[in-house]
Amino acid sequence: MNQSTSTVINTILTVALRNLLAHRRRTFLTIGAIAVGLASLIFLWGFNEGLHRNMLGNFQDAIIGSIQIHHQGFFQHPELSKAIANPQKVVEALRQADVSRYSMRLESFGLAASDITTQGVMLIGMDPLREGEVTQLGKRIGIGRFLAPEDEYTLILGATTANNLQVKLGDEVIIIGYDRFGAMLAESFTLIGIITSGEMGLDKGMAITTLATLQEMVDMTDRITTVVISSEEKRVPSLTAELEAALQGDELEVMPWYSMFPVMKEWVTLHNGFLYLFLGVVLFIVLAGELNTMLISMLERTREFGVLMAIGTTGYQIAGILLVEAVVIGIVGILSGILLGYVIVLFSSNYGIDLSILLGSTSRFYVDPLIYPHLKLDHLGITSGVILIASIFAGLYPAWRASMLQPVEAIRNG
Amino acid sequence: MGNNQDSSIIYLRGLHKCYWVGTMPFPALHGLDLDIAPGEFAVVAGRSGSGKSTLLNIVGALESADSGRVEVLGQDILGMNSEQRTRFRLHNIGFVFQAYNLIRVFTARENVAYVCQLQGKSRKESMEIANHWLHEVEIGHLGYRRPDQLSGGQQQRVAVARALASNPKLILADEPTANLDSMTGRHLIRLMHELNHRFGTTFLISSHDPDVKQAAGRLIKLADGQIVESWEEVPEPPQSLSASCPANHLPLGERVRNYIKTRKQSRARKRRGGNQRRS
Ligand SMILES: Nc1ncnc2c1ncn2[C@@H]1O[C@H](COP(=O)(O)OP(=O)(O)OP(=O)(O)O)[C@@H](O)[C@H]1O
Ligand SMILES: [Mg+2]
Repeated sequence: MNQSTSTVINTILTVALRNLLAHRRRTFLTIGAIAVGLASLIFLWGFNEGLHRNMLGNFQDAIIGSIQIHHQGFFQHPELSKAIANPQKVVEALRQADVSRYSMRLESFGLAASDITTQGVMLIGMDPLREGEVTQLGKRIGIGRFLAPEDEYTLILGATTANNLQVKLGDEVIIIGYDRFGAMLAESFTLIGIITSGEMGLDKGMAITTLATLQEMVDMTDRITTVVISSEEKRVPSLTAELEAALQGDELEVMPWYSMFPVMKEWVTLHNGFLYLFLGVVLFIVLAGELNTMLISMLERTREFGVLMAIGTTGYQIAGILLVEAVVIGIVGILSGILLGYVIVLFSSNYGIDLSILLGSTSRFYVDPLIYPHLKLDHLGITSGVILIASIFAGLYPAWRASMLQPVEAIRNG
Repeated sequence: MGNNQDSSIIYLRGLHKCYWVGTMPFPALHGLDLDIAPGEFAVVAGRSGSGKSTLLNIVGALESADSGRVEVLGQDILGMNSEQRTRFRLHNIGFVFQAYNLIRVFTARENVAYVCQLQGKSRKESMEIANHWLHEVEIGHLGYRRPDQLSGGQQQRVAVARALASNPKLILADEPTANLDSMTGRHLIRLMHELNHRFGTTFLISSHDPDVKQAAGRLIKLADGQIVESWEEVPEPPQSLSASCPANHLPLGERVRNYIKTRKQSRARKRRGGNQRRS
């Protein structure tokens, strides 16, 4: 029984494969259409992923890092009274989680004043030695230089703020702040660097000095409000959970970048949504194309199927022939599509895709002009799987119709 | 099941079949009774539209009837579902069609082997059976050609080999010579007749070809879905003068010459076949 079943299956497979080979041009055109459709999807996914990685990476690198830890409620209402009570405990938790790339900050609201005018700013005290571990802010200083460890009362402003204040390098800027009890303080700073990123969020509203200077100014030696952590994108959710667990009951908030700036995450989701839409369109084209091929192939062979049924082939076996053909076309199309797409992504990720031709300036969206596509396995899997399912569906209808043929009519009319 | 049914390979009683196109009835068979005994070489003749194909299709479990009894090989085929009919056809009936109808993408050998494989025989065994039957229909040397590389007569021989390969009790052939020139058709009919004699396979052939009617062991004439005449020849032993040379209208001298020619051919064939197997 088993032996004979496999003989029958082999025979059905042979009929199907011979038919595919007998109509080489049609078969390969259909396979080619699937391959090109899939390859373009793979490339788009790769490009999209490369763009997102670049954008999110730049966004986090700019100033916020991957995860921040503050006292509960500090992110919503930054006040010096909400300093982290026990920074040592946070450092210990980070050591436990095997995180080495972190930096401490002291952050507060303040005013920057020149002779001309005053601007509201976020005062940030950064550790010049450790900041490079978590952000690339130093690279965005277009004029002047970044903070040095020995600096005292030096200041970095964004280009817009500096412009509004009409100050230039070496000029004096007065910073007005409040201590943790709400008492007003003022100090004189020297402007040493100007951020020229083109990004509104960076070029406006920040005044950056060394951690030690700000701690001294507000009389909070060794106190901090913020721990900034840099992590691999993949690890962010699990690391967040891990740190939350470790710091439970300490009145701290552990915030991944996407909790602080959900818009960025939503933008990525929206962008991926467009790709799913595109996947749907390609899917429809593949389905329609293969369905068309299979229907033509089925109608062409109506008489032959009638004869096969007359001499003892069952409807299921006839359906099997067409399904095998559809699935073989699908699988070969998918394999060549993956190969083609992979080669394109590999090639373009080596050289990068220059967006500046297309967009002029891209820096506004934290995007570098050169994008390096990156292929994610789950995207590849979803896309290939969905196209495989589409090719099965493309075979189902013709297979069902063929299996319903009446031999006498099929032979007469076929 | 009665005794008379047991001795018949085909047993039809009161067979009615009417086609409907919309509300228009097209009567095809009209109370038809027929018994065919095992080993008969029966030809159904009749004008176009007289119901020949319909009769063969019903006997071949390809179509249903409106009323009546149809027993083929003692089995009530009207009571079978479509799956059972397919199985029944596969194991009991060989078909030869008017338009050859071979699988285009298969070689002659694979076409013949196909039914054996469907029956569950191994590929190797099926191919051996196919070779055997291709030799029997005298085209053993063409086994590796595809249908489009064969003449009409050769294709029809492949079809006959395919019909025999499943080892059926009954072969149904609907106008098997209609697409062939008369010479080729005559050869084909002679071949089928010979196979009928040698293997005892029952043949039911529809045709309006006079050559086919000549060869008939029994001629069933249909008109308007009814049998109007059923003439029967006494079955004769194989290789006899009259059986091997059915052209009864020819003068005796010519019949003898033809007979001797056939004997020679068949001897030559056997020798050829033997040589091929050896080489
Ligand atoms: N599918 C069908 N639909 C309608 N009428 C049909 C159908 N098949 C057969 N008929 C009718 O049934 C009758 C018998 O047809 P059948 O095909 O059996 O005749 P036939 O003797 O085989 O004719 P021919 O020698 O032309 O092949 C005819 O009147 C024909 O018109
Ligand atoms: Mg007919």
